[in-house]
Amino acid sequence: MNSLMRQTKAIFWKDIITETRTRQGFSAMVSFAALVLFLFSFAVGPDTDLLTQLAGGLLWVTIVFTGTLSLGRAYQSEELAGGVQLLRLYPGDARAIYLGKLAGNLVILTTLELVLFPATAIIFHVDLLPHVTSLITVAALGTIGFSVIGTFFATLTVHLRARELLLPLLLFPALVPVVLGSVGATDAFLSGDPLGRAAGWLQLLIAYDVILFVVCVWIFPVVLEE
Amino acid sequence: MKTQRTIGFLAIASVAVASFIGLFVVPADEYQGEIQRLLYIHVPTAWLAMLSFLVVFLMSLLYLVQRKLKWDVLAVSAVEIGVLSTALTLIVGSLYARPTWGIWWTWDPRLTTTALLLIIYIGYLIVRSMTEDPEQRARWAAVIGVIGFIQVPIVYLSVFWWRSLHQPPSSPRSMAAGFGLVLLLNLIAYTIAFTYLVMRRYKLGQAELALELAGPEEEK
Amino acid sequence: MSPIVRVQGLTRRFGRRWALRGIDLEVERGTVVALLGANGTGKTTLLKVFSTLLRPTAGRVEVLGSVLPRDQDYVRAKTALMTPTGHTYEELTGLENLRFATHMSGPPLSDSSLHEILMGVRLENAANTRVRAYSTGMRKRLELARMQLRTPELVLLDEPFVSLDEEGIQLVQSKISDWRSEGTSVIIASHRIATATAGADRIVRLERGRVASEETA
Repeated sequence: MNSLMRQTKAIFWKDIITETRTRQGFSAMVSFAALVLFLFSFAVGPDTDLLTQLAGGLLWVTIVFTGTLSLGRAYQSEELAGGVQLLRLYPGDARAIYLGKLAGNLVILTTLELVLFPATAIIFHVDLLPHVTSLITVAALGTIGFSVIGTFFATLTVHLRARELLLPLLLFPALVPVVLGSVGATDAFLSGDPLGRAAGWLQLLIAYDVILFVVCVWIFPVVLEE
Repeated sequence: MKTQRTIGFLAIASVAVASFIGLFVVPADEYQGEIQRLLYIHVPTAWLAMLSFLVVFLMSLLYLVQRKLKWDVLAVSAVEIGVLSTALTLIVGSLYARPTWGIWWTWDPRLTTTALLLIIYIGYLIVRSMTEDPEQRARWAAVIGVIGFIQVPIVYLSVFWWRSLHQPPSSPRSMAAGFGLVLLLNLIAYTIAFTYLVMRRYKLGQAELALELAGPEEEK
Repeated sequence: MSPIVRVQGLTRRFGRRWALRGIDLEVERGTVVALLGANGTGKTTLLKVFSTLLRPTAGRVEVLGSVLPRDQDYVRAKTALMTPTGHTYEELTGLENLRFATHMSGPPLSDSSLHEILMGVRLENAANTRVRAYSTGMRKRLELARMQLRTPELVLLDEPFVSLDEEGIQLVQSKISDWRSEGTSVIIASHRIATATAGADRIVRLERGRVASEETA
């Protein structure tokens, strides 16, 4: 096993253990997500049909908001341990840090979605079951896109003053294709895809995920230099 | 120094001539009237916005490869002019849209992408202001300069598809005679002005950097 | 044999502030050097440059005969840095912290070897306790254990005695003399003059980012 894989796994394993031992944090995140869903419903009004129509969009905006908060959390344990740059003292490729953190963020966000998708289905009266495999594909591609770019910008902003503002400022414009693609595909699948638009959105998501992943991996070592 | 002054003179003269022709020489559009003349500003500023962010992208790549601070100075010079051009594009575009289509804003992919670009590069400038260390600043900026630009075509494409679900994108109607030629003239004039402004800002940036590195508060 | 550290004209700037203004220094292999100076004289910056965390602004830096920042990976594999706060994760146990570090370092050691190392710093009873419940002294001992996972040729200690009681100080000092007898070079940055110079071969004083004096202890 080469050292990049070994280090990636070590960082992933450490982050996941830390996360399971600070479960309060995850519970707070889920509660926050639920509140965002409620607030959207209050803003839209009690028109159930309208809410059902908007469900895909509301769900993905909630994922983006909650996911952004969760990105910052992944660096809290690192800060307490003296800062993420200390990981560079281990010989090897700094990209292991990116890949390990990325894998951790993917798992955490997926866990969040395991709660959020059914919750959306229940409160917005959407029947997910007939479309479950297609929706899993969309969720996977959207989650990868979010985590690829989110992990990158979270590392970039970790040492900045006002990082809780700067992270969304840099991240949200970059997430436009992810949000449009995920919402577009989700809506298309939920309505039975009468116009055959889902495939296009999925292709867009795949293209964006691949391009951003390659660029982020390539450029990441620069972010940790001092 | 002499070349710079020549370009400066050329910039002022060409913008003046092009604006004069755009305002007074070509006839107004038959259907849209005088308001159509705004396009002689709108299109060139939009072009400058794209041009400057392309320059930023290339300079950021050069910095990452060579690690010379001059590329960073050139990049930030282009960003500042790019942000200004983007803001102008949006403002003039809105002024044009209101009488023409009866709305200030539309979810046109070009318009939406331009607005997002403005936010991305404002973020670029804010991140720069977060550190005093020129190398640190240049690294962060270069990273955003590269990633920010790569997003552009995909953001555009995604907004284009998103919007095509609701209504077809607006296609420009036929324009007044001579429109294309005058527009080209304005494009050239604005590009010369851009070159001049970037040159001046680059000189200023280098002077600032030299001052920063010399450091008034303590000698080495 | 070439010296373990050889530095010529090393400067490092943070924006307008010069942390190092031209350091010339040589450290012989197998010696213990005490790096003294008030806060803000550049001790930490110097150790960070030696450990490859910071790139020099100018000057030539050779560590273990390799030029930095070019041969970073080689230097990283043979150098161990101890920061004042340590590099241990609060939510992991002592054993898990070592397991993480050994997987990051190279071919990982087995859990039984890790237990042995923990025994060496008398943490065997706290192996499965999370670090957040550790005392300052226990954390320092875990740091010492972490540095023993590999056999470094150069050990860099940044303020290793801060907020330790007598027992803790003695433990760190005995570890330093162990390293010395094994032929490992040690550089100790400290503002606690008496503690740091005990057992040091050379004493280097920094002032405003320059070497102010060098003497044999």
